[in-house]
Amino acid sequence: MILPGPPSIPAFDRNFFTGQERFTAIGRGSLGGKAQGLARMLSLVGGTLAASFQPDIEVCIPTLTVITTEFFDLFVKQNDLTDKALSDLRDDVIANSFQKANLPAQLVGDLRALIAQVKTPLAVRSSSLLEDAMFEPFASVYATKMIPNNQLDADSRFRKLVEAVKFIYASTFFKDAKNYIRATRHATADEKMAVIIQEVVGLRHGQRFYPHVSGVARSHNFYPLGHAKPSDGVIDLALGLGKTIVDDGVAWSYSPAHPQANPPYNTLDDLLSQTQSEFWAINMDSPADYDPINETEYMRKYSLGDAEKDGVLRFLASTYRAQDDKIVYGITEPGPRVVDFAPILKFDLLPLSRLLRDLLNLCEDALDRMVEIEFAMTLDEQRGRPAQFAFLQVRPMVVSAAEVELRPEDMEENDVLLASEAALGNGVREDIRDIVYVKPDKFNVHHSEAVASELEGLNRRLQALGLPYLLIGFGRWGTSDPQAGIPVNFGQISGAKVIVESALPETSSMLSQGSHFFHNITSFRVFYFSLSPFDKHRIDWEWLSRQPAAWEAEFVRHVHLASPLKITVDGTAGRGVIRHG
Amino acid sequence: MVEKALNPFDAAQFQLDRAAEWLGLDLPTRELLRSPMKEHQVLIPLRRDDGTVKVFRGFRVVHNDARGPAKGGIRFHPQQTIDTIRALAMWMTWKCALLDIPLGGSSGGIACDPHYLSLREQEQLCRGWVRQLAHELGPRVDVPAPEIMTGSHHMLWMLDEYEAIYGERVPGFITGKPVGMGGSVGRVEASGYGLVFALREALKELNVAADGMTASFQGFGNVAQHAGRLFEQLGGRVVCVSCWDQKEAIVYAYRKESGIDIDALAGITDRFGGIDRNKAEEMGYEVLPGEAWLTQDVDILIPAAVENQITEEDVASIRPRVRIIAEGANSPATPAADKIIRERGILVIPDILANAGGVTCSYFEQVQSNMNYYWEKDEVLGKLDVKMTSAFHNVLKFGKAKKLSMREAAFAIAVARVAQACKDRGWV
Repeated sequence: MILPGPPSIPAFDRNFFTGQERFTAIGRGSLGGKAQGLARMLSLVGGTLAASFQPDIEVCIPTLTVITTEFFDLFVKQNDLTDKALSDLRDDVIANSFQKANLPAQLVGDLRALIAQVKTPLAVRSSSLLEDAMFEPFASVYATKMIPNNQLDADSRFRKLVEAVKFIYASTFFKDAKNYIRATRHATADEKMAVIIQEVVGLRHGQRFYPHVSGVARSHNFYPLGHAKPSDGVIDLALGLGKTIVDDGVAWSYSPAHPQANPPYNTLDDLLSQTQSEFWAINMDSPADYDPINETEYMRKYSLGDAEKDGVLRFLASTYRAQDDKIVYGITEPGPRVVDFAPILKFDLLPLSRLLRDLLNLCEDALDRMVEIEFAMTLDEQRGRPAQFAFLQVRPMVVSAAEVELRPEDMEENDVLLASEAALGNGVREDIRDIVYVKPDKFNVHHSEAVASELEGLNRRLQALGLPYLLIGFGRWGTSDPQAGIPVNFGQISGAKVIVESALPETSSMLSQGSHFFHNITSFRVFYFSLSPFDKHRIDWEWLSRQPAAWEAEFVRHVHLASPLKITVDGTAGRGVIRHG
Repeated sequence: MVEKALNPFDAAQFQLDRAAEWLGLDLPTRELLRSPMKEHQVLIPLRRDDGTVKVFRGFRVVHNDARGPAKGGIRFHPQQTIDTIRALAMWMTWKCALLDIPLGGSSGGIACDPHYLSLREQEQLCRGWVRQLAHELGPRVDVPAPEIMTGSHHMLWMLDEYEAIYGERVPGFITGKPVGMGGSVGRVEASGYGLVFALREALKELNVAADGMTASFQGFGNVAQHAGRLFEQLGGRVVCVSCWDQKEAIVYAYRKESGIDIDALAGITDRFGGIDRNKAEEMGYEVLPGEAWLTQDVDILIPAAVENQITEEDVASIRPRVRIIAEGANSPATPAADKIIRERGILVIPDILANAGGVTCSYFEQVQSNMNYYWEKDEVLGKLDVKMTSAFHNVLKFGKAKKLSMREAAFAIAVARVAQACKDRGWV
């Protein structure tokens, strides 16, 4: 089933919660990609799917209105912002200029009327035109601002809403957005922004407001680990607002086909060190600083202890029992908490996995491609059920346009730098000319911390130059144990777009297959190659050593090639090959 | 009959009488509301630039201040009469009441033609007017504002004189001041934008989109220019505007079927809204007799000049296509013409509603001035839109419920509110 297009959306009638329509638009322009996606799903989500999960889960699209792109055009034009917006000025300078400008006269009345009757938190989200036209995901490219909207007087609430809308407009012209648009071979000047104003699903606990569960579900998993298959899809869950997953890269990741299986952490220590320890919520108190150009002005991180005090953790967490070195379900005994959603995933408190599978299938059918959805959920505070499931967003998954199919013989050709039968990701990259590798003749696990330090500096320089690179190293990347690999955090190698982990030269230990980084690898769509000592494929070190060094230190060497590498990963077969051409 | 109807105060009293009759107001209340509560006429001697002295007549009339301090404009116009001022003051009372603004109604002015006065002479007139009337004015008594042929610089001279007399800074004494000197952002656009906010709601009521709608304006001053711009942004097209040509002492209409470029036309317009005819012709505009604005084959007519411009004699020339008349001017149609317009089924957004954006924003300015804290433009225009839209729907709903025209409904609501305030105070 492919839907022809979004239904026509009724005009906002100045009754946000009390009107007949819960999905409305202000203006005659485009809804932008994000809102178009939701509009397409409007009838499907609210139909038989919602009915089949009642009374356990109430499925909805939270009330929203969309400021269409015509107001973005007017705003930029009337305030003469084009030159400044398209300049190389810093993000904060652009954001401040936008704050000083005035919204179009025919828009402010609707916003004023909306805010006069709404006193609960609002999410002000981007919904850009190119996102729709390209039918490509722009996740996290533009800003989203959460506002508590709980001030007593309507004037204050109105001002905060207006500031948030202007901030979203400004984010169209932030550096990251411009770079992204450039990379997709479009021009920022062609971009237009619609803005979604949406009710935030969550509950207030004292001075914080948050959903109990946020999640991102993908219909295809190009980073299958453990027993998971690519076609099973993958779900990331977190406590609190979804920013934890999308920006922090922290989540409980699982296959909806195997909801009871833990993510592939190597040890309990790994699990404990990487489980969610903080969560994002809307700060309903006065913010520390007035800062309208800060995306997180009204957001704060809280500790798990706060969630426990709020009484929400008992439906979401387990406990580490140190004396037995094991995880016990529930939070009845003291000990470190592990946010593993066990009551939901392992004890079927709610049919969440089934709902997500159905929803992913529905969205895939409707959009005729692999999809990614975002959602949030609140649970009954006393019993955990029923729950309210808010469908927040659907977008196509990032999949390379190229057809990727690697045959075994493709991995044997003369120009192969390296190949792997255990590669994660999917697609083709032909934009990488830089290789950073740990010198095999110098590497020793005793020096792994020094290696990490050299890598960090080089990563910073390459990032400043905007050069993505291929990173080759030994042992487990990101391990906390320096004896097992190179103890970097993701930020120290964040410019690497392709990461290769090769078995340690002197050991035959199992590789991590990226599990330490798997959230980041997934989030940033990094290709990840594992080369075990038993692999028939080898790295062509000789070719690599023949290339002149652009920079070299004791353990690390950087090579800049005249022509780009051709890097191909067949996500379905799990094969990958890198050719130097 | 025709002569009588052309007296604006007669027209205003006629409107009141009808509303009072419908409301069943008692005689003392009718008597109180039929006439201004206070009237002042003053003489202002002015030493002109050539050394001669000329004496000008000034006015200030408070119609009713039961709902709050009086509020009203100051008009510089050679044909100024006390009856015009009385009518304007009464209409201001109704506007404030209809928009539910806690103010009464007043009006004032000087019978003069600023086209023939230097800026120094105008300043001296402003200061003279304040000196004569200062004891009757003030932020808690009566608050003046700009009107025809007065602007922000006139208001600032008046403020300066008032503050000199009282020896303190009183920014809430007057509205329409320059932004940065106690003025409110959005004040300049407010009258025109307010009209279009009401027009937008009227189009929704008729279930027609603004896209492709055409309009003809009488006048090309502040109200028409800003209303025209916003109307275009909604998707409409202004095809004709008319204005007074000072050189030839005649009114011309300027037409372009493809749509008037308001910014370009404003660029060849003097500060009184007079368009340079020769330049307009060079820009490809058809120049027509002044009354042609009324006879255009358009969807919307917007009279935005002065009173009594649509009369019983010329009302028949309104084309059948016209569906809405939005009254940017005060009482632009005589009662007889209004009756015919109503019979033709044209939706009229009455003056006390359509042009109330100006006084609404004046009220916002006064609030800001009294606090000495100023809002952002988004806030001013957002509040203005909500006020205008809410007032429009109140009138529409009331009219439908009581089977009244928009004008009758607007007057009934406004007069009832003022009458109630007078009763609550124990005046009647």
